[in-house]
Amino acid sequence: MQVTLLTIMEVILMPIVAFIIGLFMVLMMRKLAARLQRRVGPPLFQPLFDIVKLYGKQTQISHGMIHDIGIIMAVGGYVAAEALLPVPGMDGIAAKGGLITLAYLTMVPSLGLALGVGQCANPNGSIGISRALTSMLAYDIPFIIVIFGVAYQFSSTNLVDIIATQQAGGFSTWGISEMPVLAVAGLFAMHASLGKQPFEIYIAPAEIATGPMVEMGGKFLGGLFVMQSFQLYTASVLYVSLFLGGGENWITFLLKSFGVLAIPVVIAYLFPRYRTDDLVRLVWKWPVMLALIGIAFVMN
Amino acid sequence: MSNTDLSNIEVNQKPVAKRSNPFANVFNELVSFCRSRSMFMLHYCTGCGAIELPPAMTSRFDMERLGIQPMVTPRQADILLITGYVSIKTLKRVILTYEQMGAPKYVIGICSCTVNGGMYWQSYATAKKLDEYIPVDLYIAGCMPRPEAVIEGLQQLMAKIKTDEANSWKKYYEHYDYYLGNQQHLFGNNWQTPTDIIGEAKTYQLEGPNTLGEHTKILESVQRPLEPLEMKL
Ligand code: SF4
Repeated sequence: MQVTLLTIMEVILMPIVAFIIGLFMVLMMRKLAARLQRRVGPPLFQPLFDIVKLYGKQTQISHGMIHDIGIIMAVGGYVAAEALLPVPGMDGIAAKGGLITLAYLTMVPSLGLALGVGQCANPNGSIGISRALTSMLAYDIPFIIVIFGVAYQFSSTNLVDIIATQQAGGFSTWGISEMPVLAVAGLFAMHASLGKQPFEIYIAPAEIATGPMVEMGGKFLGGLFVMQSFQLYTASVLYVSLFLGGGENWITFLLKSFGVLAIPVVIAYLFPRYRTDDLVRLVWKWPVMLALIGIAFVMN
Repeated sequence: MSNTDLSNIEVNQKPVAKRSNPFANVFNELVSFCRSRSMFMLHYCTGCGAIELPPAMTSRFDMERLGIQPMVTPRQADILLITGYVSIKTLKRVILTYEQMGAPKYVIGICSCTVNGGMYWQSYATAKKLDEYIPVDLYIAGCMPRPEAVIEGLQQLMAKIKTDEANSWKKYYEHYDYYLGNQQHLFGNNWQTPTDIIGEAKTYQLEGPNTLGEHTKILESVQRPLEPLEMKL
């Protein structure tokens, strides 16, 4: 395995690019919510203001070492994942990592959060994190089936190959036209993984006081805000790479990823949320069923 | 009740030493600017003035365009809005909440009742002047103030934060004895909170001549260490 200087630079650059795009995704989410509620919405740099302010707070209450490490894991898991997600012009270590590693890495943040929140010893936080892990268990099953189907279709778990195959053949070879049923199931799983309404069981501000975030203040909350921007980026870019042919250039790449993200966000702000058991039942029924049907089409 | 009236005493403004590194100054200004443009307010309302907050937050007046959004726990919040009369029972909760918020923190008293007791002046169960118990950055008078007034007030607070003038949270540490005395007057001498204010004052180097006094002595004599809650199913 040869590590060139270029690769190292890409690995450093990709998370930074991802963070900046992620901030704009947070902005888009809040703007869309505001528009749906007939409000003006936050100004352009609001996500950045929030993060700088949180890091600049004078009181930074840590509940112990695991609390600190948990937040680092939550952000670090996504930072590592970004180096495996190809963007136009930069592949990073995507060719060496592959889809399976990426699927593992996207689970690290939830586990890190669970560790960190555990040490806060706040009952709301513990309820929140148990719900978060339950919902992870729910959406990971359709997510893994979808990934398996895509890998089977393109006979590769290498995202660079998958994107190259789709771009070489044009629209008719895009994942969404080759396996539309899987694409729908994937969108469903992606929406659930974002933790937005109606799958917002672990934040639930009115019920368990924002669950995992309940004891977080200052830079810890700031870390979670950073994590959120990475989360939005990872989910939408992964979907674009699997089903929409990745990005030929930056313009189509950004258009596709913001467009994909807009679908769950618009749905989210029109709905209240499910109960935990309802969520598991729903996610294990519909997206799993769709994904299995999709796989049957792919495999025949 | 202690006799000194604090309402006229200003925080002893140490002239903020300009740091020699120009980048550090730029950084400080950036942080103050971001603080003024991103205020998380605590979802905690007392009294009737709270009714004017939903219109100020939702589509008609939309606080989010100023960067103000509601947050759920005191740890996450920057501003505490006291939206009306505080009964003595509520005041305990207000103080507990206030002490748990992370500095820098700001308090806004909305409604006449927080200024001077308003129409509850003769009530035996209501705290009259809010700033005898916690330092208040800004009052918005009115019975009750309309959303325009609330937003106007918040914009004044933003201007104060931007120029680093909203320092009332330091006053709580510097004059803790005074605030504690008034709290003890209402709640009895056994009053204690889980937050160690004197220790925090030392950490922030805000301990002044008025931090300790006769009332903190009473606190020390009655203070029990916190014990973990008993777990019961
Ligand atoms: S000032 Fe008027 S509206 Fe406000 S809390 Fe007092 S009585 Fe209620």
